[in-house]
Amino acid sequence: MNCDTARQQLVLFLYAELSFEEEELLEQHLDACAGCRAERARLDKMGALLDAAEPEVPAGLLARCRRDLASALVQERRRQSPAALLRGFWSKWVVSPPLWMRPVGAVAMLAIGFFGARFVPAHSPALAQMGVPQDPPPVISKVRLVNPDSTGQVRVQYDEVRQRELRGHLDDDRIRRLLLAAAADPADPGLRVDSIDILKNQTSDNEVRRALLNALRADTNSGVRLKALDALRPYASDPETRQVLAQVLLTDDNPGVRTQAIDLLVQSKEPDVVGVLQQLLRQEDNSYVRSRSQKALNDMKASVGTF
Amino acid sequence: MDEAALIRAAQAGDQDAFERLVRDYDQSVLRLAMNLLRSPEDAHDVYQEAFLRVFRNLPNFRFDCNFNTWLYRIVTNLCLDHLRKKKVRKTESAVVETEDGPLDRLDAVAEERASSDPQRALLSTEIRGRIQEVLAGMTARERMVFEMRHFHGMRLRAIGESLGTTEEAAKNCLFRATQKMRSALGEFV
Repeated sequence: MNCDTARQQLVLFLYAELSFEEEELLEQHLDACAGCRAERARLDKMGALLDAAEPEVPAGLLARCRRDLASALVQERRRQSPAALLRGFWSKWVVSPPLWMRPVGAVAMLAIGFFGARFVPAHSPALAQMGVPQDPPPVISKVRLVNPDSTGQVRVQYDEVRQRELRGHLDDDRIRRLLLAAAADPADPGLRVDSIDILKNQTSDNEVRRALLNALRADTNSGVRLKALDALRPYASDPETRQVLAQVLLTDDNPGVRTQAIDLLVQSKEPDVVGVLQQLLRQEDNSYVRSRSQKALNDMKASVGTF
Repeated sequence: MDEAALIRAAQAGDQDAFERLVRDYDQSVLRLAMNLLRSPEDAHDVYQEAFLRVFRNLPNFRFDCNFNTWLYRIVTNLCLDHLRKKKVRKTESAVVETEDGPLDRLDAVAEERASSDPQRALLSTEIRGRIQEVLAGMTARERMVFEMRHFHGMRLRAIGESLGTTEEAAKNCLFRATQKMRSALGEFV
């Protein structure tokens, strides 16, 4: 093996992409050639320089990506639901059918009307009710199925959505359940904030506390997360709450949330917070959050210089 | 549950299984996108789009290749699109607005490194600049192969599969990219 071939193969050698035989030949050459050994050392050093220049993923980016993906997936699942498929079918074939379908559709409608009228008895109750005021229609209805049969009738299956109102105190289980559902409604952050604001008086309830912790950990809206943080204030010394607070402090992409998390964590002066704050200082790039973290460590007479 | 079972469960609509699949791969996907695009916002966009595509197309995944290869094919295609668009948008500013005021992306990257690793802190701005220049000067494919092999430890065969090319072509890309880097960093090594 000559030096030209050896130097070409050095790159693949360093990336362990040579076959066993090729490696053997190259190593024999390296043993005998000081110039190629020096080139290998230079390539090693270049590798180390490149490793040190690799960009770090900024703190909070992964958490933001995960939250945004969770929210995009909710939308995607809704889009793919059977109702959405039916809506697509309805819109494509009934509301705005292709041009070639339109004359066919018109003739079919005429035929249905004509034969339908022939089969309806003159004293049909359906005709008797015409012009008589009916019950008010449902607030929203979603058509799930339309199925014409051979008699000219059409079977329509639909969902009714009616607005209902419920009044009651927070100790009413139905009210509490509705508030918990509203606190997790992905479509409306304002509703989530309002629901959490009401639920914060019920934090002694484990289910409510878990919902607040979930909102703090995973809600896509920082306003909702801040509200959940505020609601969890009385539980700043609870181990599970502290665990979530520490996680939020190190991964949340909103500096306001991170600042509030520091305040809550240092509130009860538990020693476990020192390590979390020191870790935060190692990765935090927001100057204000850094200064709050340093101040908290100073107040606790803990070292900021061990990281 | 092994990966194949996880994929089948996700194909059947199991949301937890899909989330576990995402969690298994999302850190390396984000790191690859961050390495290739050097922009948190672009990396975020690629992350979202890649996993949404996985979600939409998972029912059609027939185990013809590794899930890993399939996923990286999606990610690398998205990154290639971004890199090509960036080449077109040559006038794009590196300065972005942040809550602490205007910030140069390259400075931000340097500062993050300096704060977390003494070895990174020692790396001079000049060397960083030189590395950036070489990476920017590589063709999109050379850069992909180089990043995937050097920073992600992927085998050339898998890289070739992800990029829809042969192992030999990937090997040539790696060789050319390393030569470019070697020439540019000559005085520092």
